[in-house]
Amino acid sequence: MHLTTAQRLAAAIAGAVLLVSALALVTQYVLVKRDLMARQTTLVQADLAGFAALYDQRRIIAVRQAIEFRLAQDSTADMAIALWDRRSEPLAGNIQNWPPRGMVVPAEGATTPVQFVTLGDQPYLGTARMLAGGFALMVARSTASMNAVLAQMRRLIAAALAAIAVIGALTGHFASRWILRKITRINALADQVAGGDLSARLPGPADPDEFGTLQRHFHHMLDRVEALNRATHHLSDTVAHELRTPLTRIQARLSRLNAGNDSAALQEEIRSTVRIFDSLLEIARAEAEEGQGTALPLNLSDLLVEICELYEPLADTLDIAFRTDIAPAVTILGDRNLIAQLISNLLDNALKFSPPGQSVTVSLAADDPRHLMRVSDTGRGLPPGFEAHLFDRFARADPTGAAPGHGLGLALVKAVALRHGAKLSLPATDKGFAIEIAWPKVVET
Amino acid sequence: MSDPARILIIEDDAVTAEEMSGILRDAGFVVAHADTLPAGLARAAADPFHAIVLDRMLPGGDGIDAIDTLRASRAGAMILMVSALGRAANRIEGLDRGADDYLAKPFETQELTARIRALLRRADPVAEAGLMQFGALQIRTKARTVHAGDTHIPLSPREFDLLVFFARNHGDLVTRMQLLEHVWNLHFDPQTNVVDVHVSRLRRKLETAMDVPVLHTERGAGYVFDPLRPAAEG
Repeated sequence: MHLTTAQRLAAAIAGAVLLVSALALVTQYVLVKRDLMARQTTLVQADLAGFAALYDQRRIIAVRQAIEFRLAQDSTADMAIALWDRRSEPLAGNIQNWPPRGMVVPAEGATTPVQFVTLGDQPYLGTARMLAGGFALMVARSTASMNAVLAQMRRLIAAALAAIAVIGALTGHFASRWILRKITRINALADQVAGGDLSARLPGPADPDEFGTLQRHFHHMLDRVEALNRATHHLSDTVAHELRTPLTRIQARLSRLNAGNDSAALQEEIRSTVRIFDSLLEIARAEAEEGQGTALPLNLSDLLVEICELYEPLADTLDIAFRTDIAPAVTILGDRNLIAQLISNLLDNALKFSPPGQSVTVSLAADDPRHLMRVSDTGRGLPPGFEAHLFDRFARADPTGAAPGHGLGLALVKAVALRHGAKLSLPATDKGFAIEIAWPKVVET
Repeated sequence: MSDPARILIIEDDAVTAEEMSGILRDAGFVVAHADTLPAGLARAAADPFHAIVLDRMLPGGDGIDAIDTLRASRAGAMILMVSALGRAANRIEGLDRGADDYLAKPFETQELTARIRALLRRADPVAEAGLMQFGALQIRTKARTVHAGDTHIPLSPREFDLLVFFARNHGDLVTRMQLLEHVWNLHFDPQTNVVDVHVSRLRRKLETAMDVPVLHTERGAGYVFDPLRPAAEG
């Protein structure tokens, strides 16, 4: 069974209370039982010692009289006293047969320890002594009343534990429901935010407790995230303006210099610089807009075919076999230009890292719940240990710089995929590199 | 060109405006400049212009919001947005809002003149009548066929679109970005020069059939489609 944290906590508290109560009550019971036993034992030993002393002083007659007198005095009728002669004939008392069931016959002059005996089917606690001359003397007390007290106590303990268990479970249940309700509210908010709605907040004032504090912290955090998000948008526009304007001047003046090859090389450097910060801005923007969703349906099959068609001649010139297996009419919700750039980056990489004679395969399959797009090549594959950094900005599989690029291609791929709620994975391949993007299917409404 | 085309630059950065004016004057245009949005709108309403180069972040507002006003006051003027907001999404937004073309800063000199020339051609389309002819080369835009004399040149649909774009801008420089934007509808700069490979293929097909150079490479900038160039030179 799946338990929530609050339920677990409630169960643990109820269980602990029950356990402590049970321990206390059982300890109490054991102590009471021991005390009652000790008292019974002392009583029968004292009685036996008294009669034995009388026998030593005044012999049989006195003992018989004393026994009859003592029995007459016993209003509760829970005493058993008897005296037998050497032929086990009863001389006095209220028990006929010697030795009764369970009683050990002591040697002459000896006393048995206090033990349980059965007299007339009733349990007794008794002790016996073999008096000088072979007279057996026994004193016993019924344990019925003691057992009744203990039984009563056991019933009380059981009832108390049952009550504690029920009350504990109920308290736990309501406490967990109460906590759960508060946590569920905050979780619902977190879901809403994760879904892209950064402006979501819990309505009403915060409670004056820890949950209220949590809610306030959460709200502060969201305010901050929202502000950062706005700042990112603003920053990308500002950076664009503040950096591009001077670059525009540089480039314009450069063209005036008309210095031939140097000028062309510098122009290319500027282009490359612009491409880097364009990519960084696109990544930042796509990350900031992650999960916000796009309402525009896009025919992914057509777009993929178009981009493949753009790259196919290049593969041909590089002597790389280019294979496509694209299911028609696969539609997703997405930004055409961003996804075109994603596909372009994947194909750029696949071609860049595949030596002549290898192959690049692009496939798209309509599936449920996600459409699977895969780009794989039989090229060099990743250097060992590179996978962890694959999607980082400026991560390059070839750190020598022999291959062109700035290590932003896959960072953008990841940002664009997450922006569209797609999942990235790297399927295992025998040779080369493969990447799979699982696009969410359009939910029909 | 008989009468030089008149171009209005609405740009607040003085240095950039100066450089753009210089580039366009060198290219043979008559250039005027305004440095705020209201001044630009007033100027456009007062004088006729063939093309307007419009910045976005201007004193007095975003140029993108002024497109409708410019269109109303000066119908027929082509609008080229030139902006530091250069992400693909910004370009697409600019085109959606009615700009005829969108150029991100920083730009290369040839890119600016190439785009202005392409816009001026679009504004003044020569009656094509479904046939464009350059010497022996005939392009039928309705039937989508290309012939060198009587020889049919088989082209893929994309190669045909590429050729038509070149032909419409014949004699002028066409840049890679222009080709990506107009032929492939892609608004980003791929790492590899995929476009060059397509142009090479098209060139090979055309020149095998024509026996004369048709597409000339301008190093680092782009291509010029001019099947008549060698004939004109001698």
